[in-house]
Amino acid sequence: MKISTKGTYAIEIVADLAIHSDEMHLESLKNIAARRHFSEKYLERIIKALKEGGIVRSVRGAHGGYSLARQAKEMTITEVLNAVEGELAPVACLTEKTECGIDCDTCPTRDTWGAMWKEILSVTDSVTIADIVGYRTKL
Amino acid sequence: MKISTKGRYGLRALVDMAANTDGKPMSLTSVAKRQCISLNYLEQVFGTLRKSGIVTSTKGSNGGYLLKKPATDITVREVLQALEGEFTIVERSAEAMQDPLQQAIQTLLWDEIDAKVNALLEMRTLEQLVNEYKSTIDQGNEMFYI
Repeated sequence: MKISTKGTYAIEIVADLAIHSDEMHLESLKNIAARRHFSEKYLERIIKALKEGGIVRSVRGAHGGYSLARQAKEMTITEVLNAVEGELAPVACLTEKTECGIDCDTCPTRDTWGAMWKEILSVTDSVTIADIVGYRTKL
Repeated sequence: MKISTKGRYGLRALVDMAANTDGKPMSLTSVAKRQCISLNYLEQVFGTLRKSGIVTSTKGSNGGYLLKKPATDITVREVLQALEGEFTIVERSAEAMQDPLQQAIQTLLWDEIDAKVNALLEMRTLEQLVNEYKSTIDQGNEMFYI
């Protein structure tokens, strides 16, 4: 079980935007792509999902570009990852009905997967984009 | 991000086997039936568990599988390690060069998650899962009689 590169890149993009844009100064895809070494095409796909997820906002036009839709200190990693990856559950049956053949109430392992999910969320819920940016500045 | 089928079904089958053992080698047929997992698939999974020293097998008409050590000494971490490899939340990149932003993400998120999840899996033993499983089954039976 892995968080995909898409998820990792999404966090990098949102943190990059937190550093290089604000409400008055929007940032272009081109600049983000250059700093993060992504192709603009790939970046566009991720940023589209982030926009639909309410993480970033965009303004069209000559002075258009992207910035965060909310403050970085109020944006958790869970929210960013959910926009591009869906739920972070280690097994599908924690969030949806699956056909595994047995009853969830007597499943020998469901509690363990649930506990695992809780550990993952305890980290991604408590860390914000502002934390990432702040830690980076100290390095 | 998901645990693979092998990890899910393997752990489930191992708990079932440990919960239903009478100390004699157990055939996978009954485990397969109770857990609704194909016998063929289970044989593959138990082959992997055997190679990792979690179960032993005996051949013959009364042959089957046994835990190689007491269930209290088997951690969920080692079972999943055998079936899936070490838990890491993201693929460890071969290129060690990380810029400060990537380092921040690695330290605050991925290292933290890996440490917490692995600590949890290390603390959980097969015996604990067996006890939990038995109590859910008992509860189910009580409800049936009411």
